[in-house]
This record gives sequence, C-alpha cells and structure tokens, in this order.
Amino acid sequence: MIIGGGIQGCSTAYFLSKRGQSVTLVEKDRIGRHASGVNAGGVRRLGRDFSEIPLSLAAADIWQNLGEEIGDAANGFHSCFYIKVAIDEEGRELGLERADKLKNAGYKHEIWIDADEIKARLPNLSAPSLGGLLVEHDGWALPWLIVHGFANAAKSHGAEIVERCSVLNLSRKNDIWQIDTNHGVFEAENVVNCSGAWAARIAELAGDPLPPIHAFAPMLAVTDRHSRILPAVMGVLGHTLSLKQLDTGQFVIGGGVRASASLSANKAALALPELAESMKLVVKLFPELTNSHVVRCWSGIEGYMPDNLPVIGRGQQDGLFHGFGFSAHGFQLGPAVGEALADLVMGQQPRVSLEAFNASRFCKN
Amino acid sequence: MKIDSNYDIIIIGSGPAGMSAAIEASKHKLSVLLLDDQSSAGGQVFRNIAGNQRRKSASSFLGRDYWSGSKLANEFENIQIDVITQSRVWQIGEDKSVYFSCKTKAFCAQAKFVIIATGAMERPMPIPGWTLPGVMTVGAAQTLLKNDSMGAEDAIFAGTGPLFYLTIWQYLKAGFRVKAVIDTAPSKLPFYSFLWAIPALLQIRLLVKGFQWRSFIQKNTEYFKNASSVSFKGVNKADIIHFVDNTGTKKSIDGEHFFIHQGVIPNINLSMATEVKHLWSDRQKCWYPYTDKFGESSTRGIFVVGDGAKIFGVQVAVLSGRIAAKRIANYGSGISMMSTISSLVKRGIQKSARPFLDHVFAPTREWLVPVHDNVIVCRCEALDKAEITEAINLGVSGPNQLKSFSRAGMGRCQGRLCGLTVQHMIAEHNKIAEKDVGYYRLRPPVRPITVGELAALTEHDKIL
Repeated sequence: MIIGGGIQGCSTAYFLSKRGQSVTLVEKDRIGRHASGVNAGGVRRLGRDFSEIPLSLAAADIWQNLGEEIGDAANGFHSCFYIKVAIDEEGRELGLERADKLKNAGYKHEIWIDADEIKARLPNLSAPSLGGLLVEHDGWALPWLIVHGFANAAKSHGAEIVERCSVLNLSRKNDIWQIDTNHGVFEAENVVNCSGAWAARIAELAGDPLPPIHAFAPMLAVTDRHSRILPAVMGVLGHTLSLKQLDTGQFVIGGGVRASASLSANKAALALPELAESMKLVVKLFPELTNSHVVRCWSGIEGYMPDNLPVIGRGQQDGLFHGFGFSAHGFQLGPAVGEALADLVMGQQPRVSLEAFNASRFCKN
Repeated sequence: MKIDSNYDIIIIGSGPAGMSAAIEASKHKLSVLLLDDQSSAGGQVFRNIAGNQRRKSASSFLGRDYWSGSKLANEFENIQIDVITQSRVWQIGEDKSVYFSCKTKAFCAQAKFVIIATGAMERPMPIPGWTLPGVMTVGAAQTLLKNDSMGAEDAIFAGTGPLFYLTIWQYLKAGFRVKAVIDTAPSKLPFYSFLWAIPALLQIRLLVKGFQWRSFIQKNTEYFKNASSVSFKGVNKADIIHFVDNTGTKKSIDGEHFFIHQGVIPNINLSMATEVKHLWSDRQKCWYPYTDKFGESSTRGIFVVGDGAKIFGVQVAVLSGRIAAKRIANYGSGISMMSTISSLVKRGIQKSARPFLDHVFAPTREWLVPVHDNVIVCRCEALDKAEITEAINLGVSGPNQLKSFSRAGMGRCQGRLCGLTVQHMIAEHNKIAEKDVGYYRLRPPVRPITVGELAALTEHDKIL
C-alpha cells in the first residue's frame, strides 16, 4: 500500500508493480494534485546537496531513458543543459568553491565554465556574467504529465490506484497493516508513506512520530509567448530563481519563493509581491522580457524538512517505509526514489545508499 | 498624486454601483480611493457620460436611460476622493491590500474595507465562426457608439437580451442602417414563466420600454424571430451568417459586420481570485459571489455590489452601492439596518422584474455548448469542442483538472470566455449538476501584468 499519488508514490508504485508485486496506491485528492503536479518541472543534478548527488545521478540515468519506463508520457521531458550563472563576486566564489569540491569528490557531471562560454551558450543573456556552473543533459519536464505517466505505467502493470481516498487510521495486526480509509479498510504487508507535506500525520498514525514537516507553497509564474531566447534552464548563483522557456515560448519563473500553505484547508496561498524579487532578476538577465505579461501564477503545497533533505528509508515499524520531505527539490529524484523504495520493500539492497536520508538523523539525542 | 497608506474604503470600478458607493462614503467623511480601468467614470452603462455631455450630438440616440446617469455622474465629479483611472487591479490580499498597475508601474494601497464593483460581462456565445474577424459582441458595438459615436453601416445583429434590443435601438436612432436582426429568444414560454410576470408588474415601465424597443426594431429592420442554428462563415473574415428561422427554413445573409449577444453575467474573476464564497444561479446560468443584504461577502470587510454581485441592472446597482457604503459608515454599530431600510425597500421593488426577464431571455443549450465539434471553445489556447470533449472523456472531474489535460482556460482571458462552456460540458458528460462541477480556480494576477511592472512594485514610492 502506497499512500500519496505524487511523483514519489507513483514511481514507487510503478517499480513495484513492474516487478510483479501487488500494489494499491491511495491518494486523498487526485494524482499529481499538489507539489508533484504543479512544480516548476526542473530536472536537475546541478546544485544538489552532496548527500543527494548519488541518488540524483541514478535518477538522471532513468530520465534519459524515460520512454522505456513510461512510454509516450516521456515526451513531457525535454533534455537540455542546466546552467547557474554568477552575476556578482559572491556568486562567483560560491560557484568556484562548489566546482572545487565536486572535482575533489570525483564528480564530473557538474563543472565550472567561464564567462566566454556562458556568452557562447546564452547569447541573449544581457547581464554580464562572471562564469557559472553547468550540467549537460539535465532539463525540464511537464510535471503533471510525468506523474500521470508513472501512474498509468503502474496501472498497466496491475497496480490499483484509488483517488479521493483519505487514510483515517493505520494499525498493524499479525504482521499485516490495516489501512482504514473513506473507501473502506485495506490490508497490506507493507506501507510506503509518500504523502509529502502530509507525511508527518501518516507517520504518526503508523506509530512512527517524526519531526514536524513544514508546509509551504512555492510560487511560480508564467508569461505569455516570446520568441526563443533561452535554450537552457537557468538559475543565478546565490539567488533563488529558476527560469526556463517552454516549447510554446512561454517563460516559467520559479525558484523557491514561498507563500503560506494550509494543510487542513488543502490550500496554497499566492503572494505576488513576493515574486517581485524574482521579476527584478529576470529583468536584469533578459531586459527584453520587461514588457512580457505574466498571465498566470500558481503555487502548490510542499513539505519541507528542517535540514531541507528528504526522508527516504525504513520506518521504525516493520513493514513501514518513508519517502517524503523533499523540500521543493524532489521532482528529479522521483524515479530513483521509486526504484530505491521498491528495492527496500522487496528486501533488496538499493543501488544507491540511502544512509543520509534516514529519519533517525532527527532523533540523535 | 500620492497614494495614501490607509484608506477607509477602496472601491474597484466606477460604474453606477462604484460611483454611488463613493458618493455615499464621502457624505460620511470616509476616505476613499477609487480605481477604474477606463479613462473616465461611468462603467459600461454610463460609459463616457462626461464626454458625451460635452458632445451634444450623442444626446438623442443614447436614450433617456443613459442620460439618467448624468445626475449621478455630476454628483460623483464633485466629491473629494482619490480617483485613479486607467488602472488595473490584479490582486486583493486578505489584509485588504489592493494591488494594481497604472502607467507601467505596480502599486499597492491598503484599506479597512474593499468594495468590488466590477460589473458584468457578456455571456460567451460559442457558435460556429464566433472567433472570425468581423464578428464582435453587441457590448463592443455599444462601446464604440458611446465612446466615439462610431458604428458600422449595414450591421447584422444575432442573439437576444435587453442589451441586444437597446443597442439596436440606439444604432437605429443614431442613423446607422441595420441590415438584419436575428432574434434567438424563444417565442413560446412555459406557462410558469408567466407567474414571474406578476411581480414584474411592479416594474411595468421597464417591460413597456422593452416592448417599445422591440417593436421599433421590427418596424425598421428585417427582423427574424425565434431563430436558431446561427453560424458565421468566411475565409479570412466572416462574410455570411446562416440561421434557421421560426418556420424551420434555412436562411443566409451576406454582411461585413456581425454583432452577437446572449445576455450578461457577473464578471467574477476578481471576486473569485479573492477567494470569497461563490454560489451558482441555475436561473441565470452563472456564478455570483455570496453577499448579505448589505453586500458584504463571506470575507469580512470585502463587499461586492452591482451587476458583479448578481445581474439586476443599473437601478439596483446604484442602491446597492449606497447601501454598502452606509453599512461601512456604521460598521459594527448596528444601526445599518435602520439607515438603509428605505434603500432596501426601493431595491426590492427594482429587483421585481428580473426573474421574469431571466425566463424570457434564458439561454438555451445551443448557445451554451457548441453543437458542432469544430467550434472553438477556449479562444486563448485555440481549443475546439472536440479537443475539450476528448480531454473530458479521459475522466476529468472538473474544470481544474481539465486545465492540466488540455490547457483550456490557461490563457490571458483567465477562463472568462470558456469557463462556463467547459463547466456545462463536464456536467453533461459526468451527468452531475453544474453547481457540483465547480469553476476554474482563479488565481492572481486577475489581469495580465508585465514582468517589469511586478519587478518595480517594491522599488518606487507611492507617488503616481
């Protein structure tokens, strides 16, 4: 039984059902309704916390061959380079320091490039850059399509997906979980908790109390159509901005500016003035976007951990597994998390160590 | 001008409801900021009334009802409030901060109370060819007439509703030839509709006026009653209208300018984005914000008045604006009821004809949902009925999921032109009531704003 129909839950359902396991996924709203379906769709290894890099690299392998897993829905992924430019001395230092660390750790996917190469790659960029970090073959995706791709692929392997199904209670008898929902009682050997911002509640019901997960609503804005000027996904070192241009020519402006979210009301707020800072950066990078119209803004509810790293691994109870708290950077990891959780549930060793993501890190004393 | 940091009231819209609220508020010495997206006060119904007062030529053809706005407009001119014209409001915060853009900059003003008086919009009429150049709405035709005394010679009008008759009447009085009028109002009504005619007798003047407009039109144009199956054809622009007349005969008329209309509905984009509670009107087939008798919405301190609250027309809008401002002036003191009782009674009488009118002009299904698969439903994303149907068949539960499946409603108009159509379509497919289908979740910015405007929000001071 998987709880939560976001990217983590759906990819876990997919990898488990593909391997012949009997899977039911319950989602209290609709597949991809919250953070997984409405995020900025950045698919990046760039800028990952060092503990996340192995998982992120494993995920990138899956993304590059996504069609083999989810068929046509993989067309929702667009591979391109991801770049984070330095526009001030502070950003340059941050970038160079990171590039050094990456090199020393033996990673080759993310490298420092100089101002000339930035110019060659982003000829329309107006702000003078001092170099930047680059990853080839990252990209962006239409998140809603990808999540549904995993859900449908799981269904085709026999997984059952129940939407509008809220978990009311969890109990364990004779090594079997009883999952009480508004759609009746389900039984399962294992429960995988992929319920995002709502995961602490599920963990508590399962008798595995966790530190509180903070819910916020990362905000995004999309402009009207513009001629093509940005061939990559880009960010700015030392600033929270992500910028990409869709096939339609529209720009998606995101990068972690947050509004408040209410778990009980299921509502994500929107505070456009907070987006003003992002817009200032956009205007600096591409002055020609000054007169583009922002046609829509939106936000989704996401769960944040105190250290901004996810919880992935076994719970304290037998037959309980967690995969949540991705703190607004879980979308790219999704496929690898699903694969790793499937390994764990089936008693196998995941190909990537999940040590850093154990929930026990929060209860050292 | 300097924008105050804290007004008593911010009024959005300077139509009859907004103007009357402003006048009443200033009588109570409340500080008011009024924001309007047009260049002068009047709203749609009294559009450009100050300009037309100076230009005497317009006086005859706009009609007595239009000029009845002079008194209100003159009174409005003489009150001391802050007015910012050509400003677009794009967000109202929970703390009654109102964000708007004006002259390429974005501003924020705050108030204790907000009155939303953003009026009505025309009901979308998705029929074959409605997106072709040459096809405009009757409201647009009237806008040109009021703004610049401009009209199209030999125009063809198709549709129905009070505004439909009024505009054609004004067109004829202004001296424009009207080639044909294709009236889609059903000529036979179910008997219970006439029960509503009884309270409507309180507004007999209104009914008589309507009949006079129609008989004037019948005398002076080629008039087709009880028409159906209206469509436009043309390659680069519409050049012919096809329809079926009351005898079931197919007819075609060549033309250059076509005006369509199927009644008006509250323009709820701002109130919905402000997340006040909305209700569904089965009779008017539209959403409207919940308001109490003083106009206060489900959010304390945010009022919605005029046709934006529910379609009742200009007289009710004037009274509702006044009632809301009086309520605000006496907020919390409990004397609002007494001070507004006469306005409330007058308003009750003014409302009496509306249910009957709603029945007479109720849009039938063919004007709500396209009959043919290739009719555009979502204009911004250029999606036709077949494409929307295909998405709905995937198992869509409501308009918001439809957005993700098809991109319907994701363009600049924020769903104004497709929202009701997709709602009807989903209701029919899923066999559930329209009110249970719900509507697009509307989000700021309610009006498109530029990246530059938003970027400048925090940089400038509050001087306009």
